[in-house]
Amino acid sequence: MKPKNNLLKLLLAFCLLIVSVNIVAQDSVKKELLVDIEYYLPANKLPYILVHTKTKVEKRFLPVKDIKIAVFMDSDSAAHSLGNSVTDENGTAKFMIPSSMKTVWESSATHSFIASTGATKEFDETRNEINVTKSKIEIDTVAGAESRTIQVSVFSLSEGNWIPARDVEMKIGVRRAGGLLPVGEEETYTTDSTGTVQAEFKRENLPGDTKGNLSIVVKVEGNEMLGNLESEKMLTWGAPRQPVSSNHPRTLWSTRDKAPIWLLFMAISIMAGVWGTIVYLIATIIRIKKLGKQAG
Amino acid sequence: MNSLTTATDKKITSDLLPQKFGRNGMIWTGILIIFCLVGAFAYYRQLRYGLEVTAMRDYVSWGIYISNFVFFVAISLVGSLITAIFRLANVKWSTPLTRIAEIIAVSAIVFASIIIIVDMGRPERFMNLFIYGRIQSPIMWDVIVIATYFVISLLLLYLPLLPDLRIMNQQTGKAVNWMQKLYRFLGSFWKGNSMQFKLSNKAINILCIVIIPVAFCIHTVTSWLFATTYRPGWDSTNFGAYFVSGAFLVGAGGVVVAMYVFRRAYRLENYLQDRHFDKMARIVVMLALLYLYFNINEYLVPAFKMKKPEEEHLHQLFTGEFALMFWFAITIGMIIPILILIFPKGRKPLPVFIAGVMVVVGAWFKRYLIVTPTLLHPFLPMSDVPESYRHYFPTWEEWAIAIGSLAGALLVITFFARIFPIIPIHETITELHETEEQPA
Repeated sequence: MKPKNNLLKLLLAFCLLIVSVNIVAQDSVKKELLVDIEYYLPANKLPYILVHTKTKVEKRFLPVKDIKIAVFMDSDSAAHSLGNSVTDENGTAKFMIPSSMKTVWESSATHSFIASTGATKEFDETRNEINVTKSKIEIDTVAGAESRTIQVSVFSLSEGNWIPARDVEMKIGVRRAGGLLPVGEEETYTTDSTGTVQAEFKRENLPGDTKGNLSIVVKVEGNEMLGNLESEKMLTWGAPRQPVSSNHPRTLWSTRDKAPIWLLFMAISIMAGVWGTIVYLIATIIRIKKLGKQAG
Repeated sequence: MNSLTTATDKKITSDLLPQKFGRNGMIWTGILIIFCLVGAFAYYRQLRYGLEVTAMRDYVSWGIYISNFVFFVAISLVGSLITAIFRLANVKWSTPLTRIAEIIAVSAIVFASIIIIVDMGRPERFMNLFIYGRIQSPIMWDVIVIATYFVISLLLLYLPLLPDLRIMNQQTGKAVNWMQKLYRFLGSFWKGNSMQFKLSNKAINILCIVIIPVAFCIHTVTSWLFATTYRPGWDSTNFGAYFVSGAFLVGAGGVVVAMYVFRRAYRLENYLQDRHFDKMARIVVMLALLYLYFNINEYLVPAFKMKKPEEEHLHQLFTGEFALMFWFAITIGMIIPILILIFPKGRKPLPVFIAGVMVVVGAWFKRYLIVTPTLLHPFLPMSDVPESYRHYFPTWEEWAIAIGSLAGALLVITFFARIFPIIPIHETITELHETEEQPA
């Protein structure tokens, strides 16, 4: 019996070794998960947070989907939670600031946003944090005799007062179908010590809507202190354009009230001819019936 | 003919009057009713649970129902062939076949209409087709032309029936009470005077002229439902003629089958004679050759070019998943009937009946092959779809509804033959008198 017991012990030890090696191996292949946080303020209104998860695969960063994320404001306690979400196929999750956090939001000009992910089979627990100062954008116009200028002012909140934000880089353009068309020759503009920038509008006769409205967009992207800001203003600086439909008003693929005349003519002619004949034949049957009654 | 005068007339009338169902007739009718009830139950399930009970999915959205619809539309074309074309061509021998052809046409077109509603997931929305329909859509054309063809076929069935209804009304005591009421309702006004005959003959002639283009339209428009859709196997300018020729063939096949069954069931050997089978067999051969010609056109030209999407479709038909059914439809539906019927011995009633059954069965599978394989081979390859989307085999509900609709069409024909003379009595007697009066 003793040799047999020893053999069993040896086998058990071998199995344990294999299992432990596997566990260690699994632990060691866990990949690094990168969590990026972005703050967005569209049109000086409701800010929101985007969290992106990605990992490096063969020297390329690929988005990671289905990662559970919790986001907090200022402190990672339940009272400061913005909520939980799961990243979509682009590795992105969106968080709004709930109304219950209004007091916390208004209590300070600067806030930190903390994103944390739980540990998964593939990734360890991850945490990241950004700091954002409340800000706003104002767009105005300066119309001269020969030129038209857009004036943009950026302010940040400090101790309850809006103060000019200097050295903020931004894009100023006209919203078109393909993206943002710069209003002038510069790609980007940077605010001066007064938090202001002026961009001359050089897009003469740019087609607008039927009234010549153009949508002027100001974008601050990835600013370390202010985050991502976007503001928009409609200006009647474009050339009015009456849209011309490339479709013939009456086609085979139009709606029912825009059927081609030739088709309507053919269909109605054929139907009238055939159904007119049918009506005539039914009238003939009625005549035959009357003849029968007269004879009877 | 104002009254039944001679002994021969009385004999013909007696032979051709509707007869009560015998034991076989009762069994036949019972089986058809059972199939209809099972089909109705399956349709109830489809209404309750939706089209999910079928095997139709995103790709194969037209399955066995639309195949059945095309089959019904095809077989209905026989009304115009036997009644209208032969009448206008003054073909006298076809007189005993006209009513058989017309009732096949009417019952088929009724069930074609029903089956298209069955194919709809939300049948209560059918009226939207008329309220919001676009005249640009071939589906709208099909709805219009089917309704028109139904009315014309019904008139073509009814008008030649008037003289026979008078004969039926004279046969008091030979029909049950409700049938006598029906005869009186439909034809008590027919006195058989010359003016009535003149008007009736004129109306029938007009109907025969009108029904031919309408019949061609119904099947051409049905073919356009496919041909106006850009898909492998359907993208063909040949489709209208291809469908019309196929429809004539299956219609003629259906008539020879019905001729044989009525001849046996009602002992009509003196009226549906061997010469009728011989002549119909020759017509079936001609139509089968014509349809074979269009089939060669339909497959040889794309096979010669072998464009990539067509290649996959044709390979599936010739050697792939649908090869067995494809070659079955070609050989059973066309080649073997031709081989049987080109020989004089093959044009006897029984071989003609067998060939007719082959033509009809082959034609049903041919419609299935026109509809389904194309849907399984879209131009853009299927990707990221469940496995069930890649194949199609009808569920029991689909089979039950399809078989129930076929049984329903046969039931209409059966009940019609029970109530009305399936061979025109008056025309048979008139033609006999005309033959006797001709100088030797």
